[in-house]
Amino acid sequence: MAATSRRAVLTGIGVLSAIGQDNAAFWQALQAGRSGIRSIQAFDTSTLPVRIAGEVRPFDARYYVEKSQRKSLLIMARTIQLGVAASKLALDDSGVDKTKLDPKRFGVEFGAGLIATELDELADAALLSANCLPGQVDLERWGSASMEAIPPKWMLKYLPNMPACHVSIFHDAQGPNNSITENDVAGLLAMGEAFRILARDQADFFIAGGAESRINPLSMVRQCLFDALSRRNEHPEKACRPFDRNRDGFVLGEGGGVFVMEELEHACRRGARIYAEIIGFGSAFDATVNPRVANPKAPAGESGLARAIRAALGEAEIGPEEIDHVNAHGLSSVSSDAWEARGLQAVFGACRQPVPVFAAKSYFGNLGAGGSTTELAASIFALQNGFVPRTLNYDQPDPACPLAVVAREPKPIRTPYVLKVSFTQMGQCAAVVVRKWE
Amino acid sequence: MKRRVVITGMGVITPLGKTVDELYESQLAGHSGIGPIRHFDASQFPTKFAAQVKDFKLADHVPNPERWRAAGANSRFAAAAACQTLGDAGLLGDTRANRDRFGIYVGAGEGIHDFHNFFSLVARNFDPDRRKVNTAGFAAGGLKDFHPAEEFEQELHTTTGHLGAYFDLRGPNYTCLTACAASSQAIGEAACQIRHGDADLMLAGGAHSMIHPLGVTGFNRLTALSTRNDAPEKASRPFDKDRDGFVLGEGAGMVILEELEHAKKRGANIYAELAGYGTTADAFAVTDSHEAGRGAIACIEMALRDSGLPASAIGYINAHGTSTQVNDRVETLAIKKVFGDGAYQIPISSSKSMLGHLIAAAGAVELIISIVAMRRGILPPTINYETPDPDCDLDYIPNVAREKKVCHVLSNSFGFGGQNISLIASEFN
Repeated sequence: MAATSRRAVLTGIGVLSAIGQDNAAFWQALQAGRSGIRSIQAFDTSTLPVRIAGEVRPFDARYYVEKSQRKSLLIMARTIQLGVAASKLALDDSGVDKTKLDPKRFGVEFGAGLIATELDELADAALLSANCLPGQVDLERWGSASMEAIPPKWMLKYLPNMPACHVSIFHDAQGPNNSITENDVAGLLAMGEAFRILARDQADFFIAGGAESRINPLSMVRQCLFDALSRRNEHPEKACRPFDRNRDGFVLGEGGGVFVMEELEHACRRGARIYAEIIGFGSAFDATVNPRVANPKAPAGESGLARAIRAALGEAEIGPEEIDHVNAHGLSSVSSDAWEARGLQAVFGACRQPVPVFAAKSYFGNLGAGGSTTELAASIFALQNGFVPRTLNYDQPDPACPLAVVAREPKPIRTPYVLKVSFTQMGQCAAVVVRKWE
Repeated sequence: MKRRVVITGMGVITPLGKTVDELYESQLAGHSGIGPIRHFDASQFPTKFAAQVKDFKLADHVPNPERWRAAGANSRFAAAAACQTLGDAGLLGDTRANRDRFGIYVGAGEGIHDFHNFFSLVARNFDPDRRKVNTAGFAAGGLKDFHPAEEFEQELHTTTGHLGAYFDLRGPNYTCLTACAASSQAIGEAACQIRHGDADLMLAGGAHSMIHPLGVTGFNRLTALSTRNDAPEKASRPFDKDRDGFVLGEGAGMVILEELEHAKKRGANIYAELAGYGTTADAFAVTDSHEAGRGAIACIEMALRDSGLPASAIGYINAHGTSTQVNDRVETLAIKKVFGDGAYQIPISSSKSMLGHLIAAAGAVELIISIVAMRRGILPPTINYETPDPDCDLDYIPNVAREKKVCHVLSNSFGFGGQNISLIASEFN
């Protein structure tokens, strides 16, 4: 492992989620054990099997964008607006004077997903060429008539690299700029990459994180077709129950979590308030999370989640017993939670005291590309405030998930180290270790 | 000690060939891969042509391709190119390689959009009184009409997920989608992962196709595409005065990046060293490059710094060279700024003059062409270069390939949205 003298610290946090649109509200809800999952208000879901989610409401992107730049909100889908807003919150929270930053050393690393198109803006085009035979667009008519009815900048509103692009323009971030599109683990991978770039001295200051909204008709239909969502429509607040025996699928949320990540000396020079230091990162792949993806001929090996965790702990130079708590992926899916528990057991099973596990999705659902970093933010606030919030809806332990879930009441912080893990249902895994700054 | 990264395998699926040799020979001969769009009826589109991969059957490239049944062209091209690349590197089915230290980083595009069902549903559920789509009707229809597996394969992490599972590569697994810069960025960051010690081997590159109705529509509405319908093979004319936009291409390019000592130990065939990587953002506009090329300049400079080479060492530049008015002018400006008077002595060409623009896959394919050119000592031309543009006055290797011994090559990729990537590959002795 290449040693580096350049250290990375977190000096700003911006979160937007169903439980709050600023850091104080977010922590208050976590402290109070208040879920943000409700019946969906964004659109009429009466024909869908799933009608609950964690929405960010009310959300007005104009609030986060300077007047002169508000026109560009017209070419941003909600996902992009949420990313831009969370980034602004993180920057404000960092207290940085942007005019003192070197733009060439200021990067953006974002997690992003597939962005679904809005329906109404395409209706004129559809009516001109798609209303004759069901399931069939007349391509000749499309080319000659519908084409002109598509808003000229339509495509720009949906490109996954646009959150990072707009953020770079708004804040004059001319350093490295990447958009990692690895589904639920995207935000954490983006953070890991920013951590590496800081260490190798190609930037000093990063906006790193992710944001996503899939609470719109097209995304919801697609998610329903994938058949992994909880259908507990009658009890929205009870629907997301990571590691609980009666979990029945995950719950969509929307929003994002964005960090200002900064080289330590850079942060000290400007007298920044430091939340935590990133001291280890690891990633790995393991298709066994999903029997439909796994290769039946591949020889068995160690869990990819466990390998990512070991790499992160190795870099952090700490042992598993030193971790205060694991901030879990905790999807609330029957198979995924059990697979995660096995991966955690492989690393922590030999510890004398079981390591406490916290699952933040139980509050605001699965934010996709924005999830892992928003969840990590909860643990950073936990380190600040001295206790880990309880995981909601953990009523009945599941023998398939033998974990010490923090459930009945908040748990006092014992050590300065938190491990955040995340993975996708294809097998991409990541782990980050942070240390409270003291 | 610094861990060095070398390239020990290469593979491509392109409109000009489905092997590296075939692609390179077509480039030397100045063949155009551009013709009328056959994937769908584009007869009434403003742009009716593209550079398409011909006669592609995944089963010709990959044994047991069933897992890609519902996948889009991006993932299928990626699978074929990956198999070729692993085979080329002697790593296909090699059980001695430590799978845990073998990762993937691919700039992969999105899967097939269900264009017909989607627009049909929007039309059928339009409420003329409210001038809005009835979402309940749309949702009910979508649940019935959309194909679950095909919808799943559109998700952006599926391309690298399938590659990891099928080829049993268990190291870091990343995908990025930074438009036209994606595969170059993937290669650059993958190399950094090896340097840092996160992996010893990485399969890296890109795969994409936007030659579908909505892809062409999107770019046509942005007026980014050439509309030279009367002469498609003349449409991609980077640096020529009469250029009028880029031409969509499709395909995949992959390389094996390997830690030098690891490669030596297993007696791998080393094509080149990946010596330098630059990554910056314009932070200027959503579509156009910064007029003075500030992001591109900083990017090339960063790659040079990373390689430790003086600017004068670069013997060939494979330009981003999209054939749009702005890109080619700004890229020329940036090269002049970085290389000074020396810029006029460096042969530059744009593979896109023949291949079109492979978007997320472009950079990887162009790096591969650059490496083969360096090894063979013959630089591919820029075709359709007929009328000089006073703003573009460098040596673009017009129309005819050129023999020249070069030891270090630079490949540029500048993405829509302002991401700039430069890669430097060096001869390895």
